[in-house]
Formats: sequence, structure tokens, C-alpha cells
Amino acid sequence: MSLAIVGIAEVPTKRDPERTRWDMLTEVCIGAIRDAGIGKDDIEAVISVNPMAQPQMALDMALGRVPEVLGLKGCKDICVLNAGGTSTTNCLRLAKYFIENKQAKFVLVPHTTVQSDIPTEDLINFFATAPLDMQWEYPYGVTFNGAMGLITNRYMHDTGATAEQMASVTVSLRAWGALDPNSIFHGKPVTLEDVLGSRMISTPLHAKECNFLADGAGAMVVTSHEVAQELGKPAAYELGHGVRFTGATPVLRDDPYFHRAYRESSQDALAEADLGIDDMDLRQIYGAYPFTQCSALEGYGACAVGEAAGIWADGRCGPGGDLPCTTMGDATGRGHTGSGVSMAFYLDTVRQLRGEAGERQVKNCHHAIVTTSGGSVMNAATTVFGSEPR
Amino acid sequence: MSDYKKPLPQVEPYTQAFWDGTKNGKLLVQTCSDCNARIFFPRKQCPECWSTNLGWMEASGKATVYSYSVTYEGVEAVFKDDLPIVLAWVDLPEGIRMQTNIVECDSDSVHIGQDVEVVFKAVTDDITLPYFRPVA
Ligand SMILES: [Zn+2]
Repeated sequence: MSLAIVGIAEVPTKRDPERTRWDMLTEVCIGAIRDAGIGKDDIEAVISVNPMAQPQMALDMALGRVPEVLGLKGCKDICVLNAGGTSTTNCLRLAKYFIENKQAKFVLVPHTTVQSDIPTEDLINFFATAPLDMQWEYPYGVTFNGAMGLITNRYMHDTGATAEQMASVTVSLRAWGALDPNSIFHGKPVTLEDVLGSRMISTPLHAKECNFLADGAGAMVVTSHEVAQELGKPAAYELGHGVRFTGATPVLRDDPYFHRAYRESSQDALAEADLGIDDMDLRQIYGAYPFTQCSALEGYGACAVGEAAGIWADGRCGPGGDLPCTTMGDATGRGHTGSGVSMAFYLDTVRQLRGEAGERQVKNCHHAIVTTSGGSVMNAATTVFGSEPR
Repeated sequence: MSDYKKPLPQVEPYTQAFWDGTKNGKLLVQTCSDCNARIFFPRKQCPECWSTNLGWMEASGKATVYSYSVTYEGVEAVFKDDLPIVLAWVDLPEGIRMQTNIVECDSDSVHIGQDVEVVFKAVTDDITLPYFRPVA
């Protein structure tokens, strides 16, 4: 296995209906290719992240418009992959296949999403129905927030996590976001009182613990470890990967808050990397709801079950803490760009490993573990990256 | 009842018996005659052994709250008159866990471990939804 991310670009997360999907997409694709230091015709495949709730853009990408618009004369094939929040992870997996089989030396992985031009009621409908069973959940008024409220209440009941501790997760995520020029919450930290005082959406989740839908775009250029070394620039080297499926319908899962999926996927990834969880300098957890930040730490074995919420409450996972987690801010601390959140997780991990994360830079960041999830956490896809190849 | 605007369950041929049951005041649990699995939600084939030798047992109607969430906002317009909506996962002694709403209650009083019982609400001529309410 030898995938390396050698070029990145991002349009900051915000609500900006002035910018179109293609406007942003063009900028990040050109930006990532230039960042890699290669020419446009060196790209031999384009594997795009499916844009959620944007059927025209999804079709444009699926039917080959990206290399045409960019003039990528060396492109041999294209594909769009959709697994919700794990779409970007799937793009990396397919890119690895192209690269390992010498079908492509460089693969471009782009994402773009504009949600601010979609009527609010349509977005509520989309995010209410997208992950739900139409027979057994939807008639009861379940929403994404409601499903995550159900899971969070059980998680808190079983682990003893308190409302204050859970709210502290959002405080730390927003603290990372406040330092991040790519976050919609740049310069906008919140206090515990802000979180607990915000409107109750679906118990125990307050408004500030739920997601703020936004626009954004990002792109990566990936290649093999060997070619990345030849380029002679800092890169993020994939060292190991593992994944577990939990199920589509929250009520039916026997791993209700994903301890097992986080544990087994991270064990596979770490074993392949020949590293341990304590070797990780940074943990990047994409769960889109605060309990996942706790549950993943426990599943990874970075702490005991029942300890994670207290660790977050002590500030150890936020800026200046000794166990930095999710410097990307997660969707709650950065803004939710649909399937683009996982793209942004990888981009931020590359910045950290290249030492380019500015005020959020984790000191001596050489190894990072990243978990993405799709749907209502139907899976946990965990990857270990390093600043050097194995 | 024909003015019911909220989403109705999208019934499959192999789940029709479940909805015929609720219409007649019965909560049915699908069972596998080959491996004895208790199945929710109902399938065309047993998810444990792929048998098509499936049947139904009538549940007692008792259940325990496994988890809950009281929704105050963020629902589609057709649900707004129902707010707050008490979402719940309930465990039936027959061995399945279902998504439902807890109704006829003070939403603040719902809690994990609470004893509840099924209550049927006919929402159209064809569809009766099973809800649960606290045991008096
Ligand atoms: Zn069976």
C-alpha cells in the first residue's frame, strides 16, 4: 500500500451563494495541481466526491465534465463515488488501485458543494430523509439530529458523561475552528454557557452541538510513496487503513455508539502501519456530532471507556492540550459541507503533517489517525498517515 | 383521516402482514421457523439464515425505553404541529428493538428504562401506526 497526498487546495467553508460549484471546483483543482508542483496533463484520473443534494452537479461529475473543463489532456478515466461522509475515503481507495496498478501516476480527487442556494425546507427534507428508513423511521419524525440525539442519550447513560462534559467537546472544537481561516467559525469561539444556553434541538443536543450547513470545496492530488519522495516536498503518506460497517439504521445496530467499529478499524490501520495508538500525535475524528469525539477516543483505546468526556472537559483535546484531537473542528466546529467534511479532514491532516497548520499546528506532528464516517455513522473508516514513508 | 399529511410507511409486499396487524390492534413480530430468529424490521428472507419459512407472533405490547430524544425543532413542516416529538427506541420482551414515538406523556418525564406499552393510532384507512405510552 503506498498512497501519498502531495497537493491540496481548499475554498474556505462559508455561506456564499455568489460562488458557484464550478467556480470553486476550478479553483481548488488548479490549486491542488499547482501545490503538487506538477503539470495539468500529469493527472491521469479524476475521482470525484459525490456532492450531496446537488443532483445536477453529481451528474456533471459522473459524466466526465471535470477533466474537460480543466483541460486535463492526460486523463484516462473518471469516476464519482458516493458513500455520504466516507465518499472521499472511497475516492482515496480507488485512487490507490489506479496508482498501484500503474494505471495512473497522479490522481485528482475534487469536491465542491453549495448548499446556500438550496431552500431551507429542501435541505431539512434531504437531511431528514437521506439516512432514514422510509418505512420504519421516517413516519415517526426522525431527523438526522433526532437519530444522533437518541444515540447520544444512550452513550451518556452508559458512560456517565454529563451535559457539561458533552458541551465542552463543542467548546474545544469551536476553539480549533476559531483559529482556522478555513472554518466558517474563524474568530468565533464559544463558551460552555453559549453551548448549554443555545436552543434545544433534539435532546440532549443543543443548537450549537448540531451542524450548520455551508458551502465549500477542496481537492487533493495523490500518487505513490515513491513518486512523492521524488517530488521532494512535504507530503502525507498513508501508512495503514481499516474500516468497519455498523449498519444503515441506527435502531438496529448492535454497536450503538460505535466503540467496536472505532476499535477494530483503528486496530487494522495501526497494525498495517506497525504503530500503536500512543504513537499518534493527532487524532482526527469525523462524526459530525460531539459524542463521536468521545466514543472514538475510547474505541481507539486512547483512554478507558467512560473517560473521554472528562478528558475533553479538561481541555486536553483542544488547543494547547496534551491529546490534540480534531484540529479540523469537525462539522460542528467548522461548518457542514455535506460530503466535503471528509475532504476537509484529509486536507487538514496534510497541513498538520506538513507543518502548515498555523496557529493550530500540533507540535512535532509526524503521525495522525483519521476516521471518517458516512450516513448516520454507517461505518468507521480509519487511516494512519505519516510525514514520512514507512 | 384522509387529510393526513405526514409521511406514511412505504409498505413492501412482505411487510403487509405487519401493517394488517396494527390495523387490527395487534403488534406482530416476524419470526423465522428455521432458526427461531425474531426479526425487525420484517424482511423477505430471514437476515440470519436466509430462510423464507417466516411467520409472525403477536407481541405482548409491553416494552422498555432503550433510548429517547425529545425533538423541539428542525423537522419538516408537516411535523411542526406535533412538536415536541418524543423519539424513542423501545426493547420488546419478544426480542426486538423498534423506532417509535412515546405519546400521551409529559415529554420531560421520559427516561431510559421506562416501562411503556403499545398504543395504536389509525392515521389513514390503510395505515395504523404503533406508538408507545408510559404504563400507568
Ligand atoms: Zn432464520
